[in-house]
Amino acid sequence: MADFDVIQGNKALAYGVKLARVEVIPAYPITPQTTIIEYLAEFVANGELDAEYIHADGEHSCMAMAVGAALAGARVFTATCSQGLAYMHECVAQAVNYRTPLLLGVANRTLGWYWSLGPDYSDIMPELNLGYLVNFAESNQEVLDMTLQLYKIAEDYRVLLPTMMSLDGFYLSYSQERVWMPDQEVVDKWLPPYKAPYPVDPTINDKFPTASIPPVMHTPMRRIYEEILQDSRKVIQEVDTSFGKTFGRHYGGLVEEYKTEGAEALLVTMGSMTTAGRRAVDKLRSEGEEIGLVKLRFMRPFPDVEMREIASKVKAIGVVDRMMLHGTRGGGAFQDVKSALYNSNVKIPLQGFVTGMGGEDIPIDDMYLMGKKVLQVAKAKRVEKEVEFIEHKFTGMGKPVEVEWDEPIYPGSDGCAGCGASIIVRHLLKVLGPNTIVINPPSCSGVNYGQAVRVPWILANFAAAAAYETGVYRAMKKKGKADKVCITSFAGDGGTADIGLQSLSGAAERGEPIMWLCYDNEAYMNTGIQRSGSTPLFSATTTTPAGKVIPGKQVRRKNLEMIMAAHRIPYIATASLSYLPDLERKIKKAVEVTKAGKGLAFLHVHQPCATGWYFPENKTVEIGKLAVQTGAWPLMEIDEGNFKLNLKPKELRPIAEYLKPQGRFRHLSEGQLEFLQKDAQTEWSALLELEKRGRFPGY
Amino acid sequence: MDMSIRGGQYVGNWRVLMPVIDEAKCVACGLCATICPEAAITGKPKVKPKIDMRFCKGCGVCANECPQKAIEMKKEATK
Repeated sequence: MADFDVIQGNKALAYGVKLARVEVIPAYPITPQTTIIEYLAEFVANGELDAEYIHADGEHSCMAMAVGAALAGARVFTATCSQGLAYMHECVAQAVNYRTPLLLGVANRTLGWYWSLGPDYSDIMPELNLGYLVNFAESNQEVLDMTLQLYKIAEDYRVLLPTMMSLDGFYLSYSQERVWMPDQEVVDKWLPPYKAPYPVDPTINDKFPTASIPPVMHTPMRRIYEEILQDSRKVIQEVDTSFGKTFGRHYGGLVEEYKTEGAEALLVTMGSMTTAGRRAVDKLRSEGEEIGLVKLRFMRPFPDVEMREIASKVKAIGVVDRMMLHGTRGGGAFQDVKSALYNSNVKIPLQGFVTGMGGEDIPIDDMYLMGKKVLQVAKAKRVEKEVEFIEHKFTGMGKPVEVEWDEPIYPGSDGCAGCGASIIVRHLLKVLGPNTIVINPPSCSGVNYGQAVRVPWILANFAAAAAYETGVYRAMKKKGKADKVCITSFAGDGGTADIGLQSLSGAAERGEPIMWLCYDNEAYMNTGIQRSGSTPLFSATTTTPAGKVIPGKQVRRKNLEMIMAAHRIPYIATASLSYLPDLERKIKKAVEVTKAGKGLAFLHVHQPCATGWYFPENKTVEIGKLAVQTGAWPLMEIDEGNFKLNLKPKELRPIAEYLKPQGRFRHLSEGQLEFLQKDAQTEWSALLELEKRGRFPGY
Repeated sequence: MDMSIRGGQYVGNWRVLMPVIDEAKCVACGLCATICPEAAITGKPKVKPKIDMRFCKGCGVCANECPQKAIEMKKEATK
């Protein structure tokens, strides 16, 4: 029979996806969702799961790939959270009218606003009302089981709607629990392959979905979709019963009741906080209080009928919310429960609680006090304050230390030991001076130096750092201060080559005189070493692991210099932290070019990363030197179209000297090594050729 | 608490190796100060470097790069 394992919520979800034999998985990293796609990458690379794994270049593309694949009739999974989910929003909405029964895993994390990695439901809140079936999981077991159930529900021809599963970041995503694993054969029988009724496949079908309809049809279509969504409760109930029969576990329908019999008051919860709620109810019951708990398992369709029936038996309800509907005074679940009861005969007081925002823990003690409060309301038969915010005093977090220091960055960053980015940022700010504005798309540096620098350090949204820069520059220009400040980005390779490329390209084309510094550590290091468009060929990352079937990244990196050169911007240069005088000269040149208003200056700086490349941290500078001397990272510049190599060794050192010390290339076969050697030699010859010509083509 | 305070953080008690400068070998070239990832070394050409151990993470980049091999990574004294 089935066996169990002690695993994280993210792994439970990945196992669920594997058991469901999902066919297409578009993936893009974001904390705390990332390990889901890492586990899946491992399954695919090792041949345990036969699926198309797509390394997306941003969440927007990621969701578009998912919708596209589902339109073509595949069983699809993708996952995200927070800012990523917000960036997806447009494509998330589109999945509904295309009737694509995909599953979107959301490992909740607060939506900035103030940024935090911890969970609340502010990220999933804007997505609730699009027409998805939205499930909230309480435990890792429920995560795995509901993955299977949601595919079965969504793919039922009576439903055919996309689904979303919320698992709380950290509390579920990174917490280990015992999870019973269903057998693959049993799952295969219970969940047969998905057969789309109308795939966009002209070889078998002649009816295709459409994106737009005349306005007169919109209201009826909305009504029909709402009816389908409401009718899906039947399917949810059926699937849960059949799942229980097959696997021995079932969860009830849209809500789960806990000790509600004879209760005077109720707590309404959702997600992982429910477990704390149960223990609080246990405690209150043992003290003789008549209280129970209702878990909202599905937020859409909202269990209004169920809530009405439950409410008719009690004297007061308290709704615990981990989200805030700003402008309505309360949380989302609170407002939904309230509106469910309004046009009914049930007239009982409702108490709302908002707590646990930004990932703050909701402990049993708090639940206990909330339970007490609802019992008071039940006795008094009225609420004093409709919504209570449960707040705690700020105590933690080490205070930053100010020391006597004449450099623009303080010592003591939050980075890893031997971090190369620290070296780059220090020398960048040294050259630029105090009148500098740094625009920083999410990356390690945003976490590490935001507090340690003396200049404005603005955390931009991932896909729009160059646009932020443009905005700041234009305002400064309008105020006549453009020549008094330096505006630069400090962006990683993901924020430059992948998700940030569109806005960077726009700024370059418009000729905005701003600086762009990309510190390239050749992967998404901040989320934990996922491959980016700048990851070199054959490199192992967590999303391109050195698997048995697929060993490492299988495609070449983007050539960013050539992409930028195609924009004919005035200054492009590569640099390395191991050649600091060269780097400083190039930064100075970039400042000169931008202050003269000539256009965008692009600096591409190589940054060896001990953590992500798996080499001893004292070798950061040494590895950087080897990259330059072996031809893996040639130092060059394109100044107004004049191409120049800045460092020309008589003969390149063998590339193995650079690759061998790095763990990410440990799996290289002789053939792969030889290929890389030849590749480096060819590229170098092409660059020498280019230098002989002098002018860069196209300028 | 004023969240706008800027400054670095002291390193925790997890450092394993600490750099020790051999004053006799050091020629005060200033390289270690320019490449220290933590900006924990003060010093410039002709001024002997000083390491602020409150911030040093013990990565060893300075010892690895020192042209005079004047920095040795020694095991952290037990606290």
